[in-house]
Amino acid sequence: MEWSLDNSGSKYAASFSDEDGKLILSKLVGDSIEKPIPHISISRDEQPRRIIVELDGVSSFAYVVRSNDQWWIHFQGRIFVVNMHEPGSKDSSLSEGSLSAPMPGTILDVLVKAGQRVRKGQTLLVMEAMKMEHRIQAPKAGEVAIVHFEKGDRVDMGQNLVEIIE
Amino acid sequence: MFPDWMNEAPSPFDSVLVANRGEIAVRILKAAKESGLRGIAVFSDPDADSLHVEIADEAIHLQGSSLSETYLNIDAIISAARESGAQAIHPGYGFLSERADFAKAVQESEIVWIGPSPASIQTMGDKISARRRMIESNVPIIPGEELAIEYGTNPLGVLASSAARVGYPLLVKASAGGGGKGMRAVHEPKMLRTEYEAAAREASAAFGDGTVYVERLLTGSRHVEIQVLCDKYGNSVHLNERDCSLQRRHQKVIEEAPSPAVNSEIRDAMGTAAIRAAKAVNYEGAGTVEFLLTPKGEFYFLEMNTRLQVEHPVTELITGIDLVQKQFEVAAGLPLEISQNNIGITGHSIEARIYAEDVSKGFLPAIGKLAMWKPPSNPGVRLDSGFREGDEVTIDFDPMLAKLIVHAPTRSAALRRLDSALSEFVVLGVTTNIGFLRDIALSEAFSEGLVTTDFLDNISLDKFLEPKIDDSVLISISAASSRLGLGRNSSSENLDNFVDEYSGHSDDPFRTLKRSFP
Repeated sequence: MEWSLDNSGSKYAASFSDEDGKLILSKLVGDSIEKPIPHISISRDEQPRRIIVELDGVSSFAYVVRSNDQWWIHFQGRIFVVNMHEPGSKDSSLSEGSLSAPMPGTILDVLVKAGQRVRKGQTLLVMEAMKMEHRIQAPKAGEVAIVHFEKGDRVDMGQNLVEIIE
Repeated sequence: MFPDWMNEAPSPFDSVLVANRGEIAVRILKAAKESGLRGIAVFSDPDADSLHVEIADEAIHLQGSSLSETYLNIDAIISAARESGAQAIHPGYGFLSERADFAKAVQESEIVWIGPSPASIQTMGDKISARRRMIESNVPIIPGEELAIEYGTNPLGVLASSAARVGYPLLVKASAGGGGKGMRAVHEPKMLRTEYEAAAREASAAFGDGTVYVERLLTGSRHVEIQVLCDKYGNSVHLNERDCSLQRRHQKVIEEAPSPAVNSEIRDAMGTAAIRAAKAVNYEGAGTVEFLLTPKGEFYFLEMNTRLQVEHPVTELITGIDLVQKQFEVAAGLPLEISQNNIGITGHSIEARIYAEDVSKGFLPAIGKLAMWKPPSNPGVRLDSGFREGDEVTIDFDPMLAKLIVHAPTRSAALRRLDSALSEFVVLGVTTNIGFLRDIALSEAFSEGLVTTDFLDNISLDKFLEPKIDDSVLISISAASSRLGLGRNSSSENLDNFVDEYSGHSDDPFRTLKRSFP
């Protein structure tokens, strides 16, 4: 199994040694490169969705819940999401250059057309979801390859809206 | 059977239908239960298993799928009241709460309306008539121009010349707007068209009316509002101010009472002006007069909300007055029996609104199942919410999940309490703004009480979005959790395999002997 966080595209694999149910991190490989590892071990707690994390000699609890292919973690007063990937799987969520609808909603306005150059942060589409407007902005500079929807169209979450090429 | 406290009331009632949903319906239904009133909920299909339905004494189903068929359907709600024998209706906030025609329909059905008269709602609900009434009553108003434009006509010429007279920067507001919808800032003439069109669209989508007007945008100001309470006999008091300056695109994020920018002199002046505003429309019940407070200490009337406000709990905590109970009493025709001299301020209270939204994606509303929901519970911490663990957060309704309200002796103690409570709030399965709320509450500007309404719109949020814990730690936690087999039973789809929250065990009676209390 491989793991990734949303803030970087890196995929990791982790190995542990097992000491009576206490898992001690022994190796961490990120994008095929071995990474320096923290002193961390993890064991079960009496509560079903809580674990004991010992980091650099200090123990604390973390709450963990698996939801689809994500681990949701509450640790040290913060909430995090880690994505799971089957080894060798092609990662669809990272398909470069396409912008998908973040929510189900309606397209209110299309501000660009195919062939147009856009700068990073430029508003491409305006969507309405939950009665509020959301601007879909270019994540990088490039050229608009395809706009999949027109003003007034309904879109589902995750549908590709616009494709941008370098 | 009327509860004892209702004995002397001219228009007593024994039951109240709450024409709302979510946390505010829960808040009001609990108040009803506490006061010995039968609480009746209404619900549409997506809410069939909601908390407000569960806690109500009776719940009436509203047929249809859209809001206009259900929570915005006056006829359906009146017939739900008839069917359940409800003797009073509380509208909550949002939905029909500021609809004069609803108030009128309730009264004509000989049901007690918990709110101000239809005429008060009407006058204050239309920004132009409200402004006119405030001028007559000597309540200071924002420099601006009265301009009514009907949606559907081409208003740009009229709008541009009005905007030029008012001066930039300015706000384009839909007269029927509210809650940040239908209101747009325009900083330069070339943006007028785009922003106006956005405001008109939002207003008509949310309220079915696209009327718009223009006023000067006072930058560097604070949003300070006064809670008022009035009875049917001309007695009016104010319950001090709330500071709601921390906003994002005119949507409140954190509110507090008292305001760090208000001294007793400003408080008295604002309180007096707020009472004048309320009296100008013969107000009855609980209402809020919103002001903009400039850095120089001048204040201007923004609008009056003729209903209970989302952030009412901070006022309840510093004054010890239960606003919903007071609304019941006023509606029953009881006199206020509180004098201004007896209303004090005890300590400091702060409310943080917990939204299902992804701050890193431009505050996009988030959806999903609340796989884990463990609210903090400490002295001085109150949580108003309509959600429970396992509930689904959908796009059908507003993304506010809960209001976390803290109360402590001083502002700095309240801030520490808020941070601690937010850090203990475990919400997994749906992205929330909890981490962002912590960062904002701890920011220098907020902790020093210097935040103005444009604060969040003008700062870069990037520094708040830095990862707080090393990736290697998070990867380790996930990988180890998988290896420990933690994902299997708790994949929240399978509720049959229920595991006791506190003991950590399923239904084996012997194992509960090992119950542990964290």
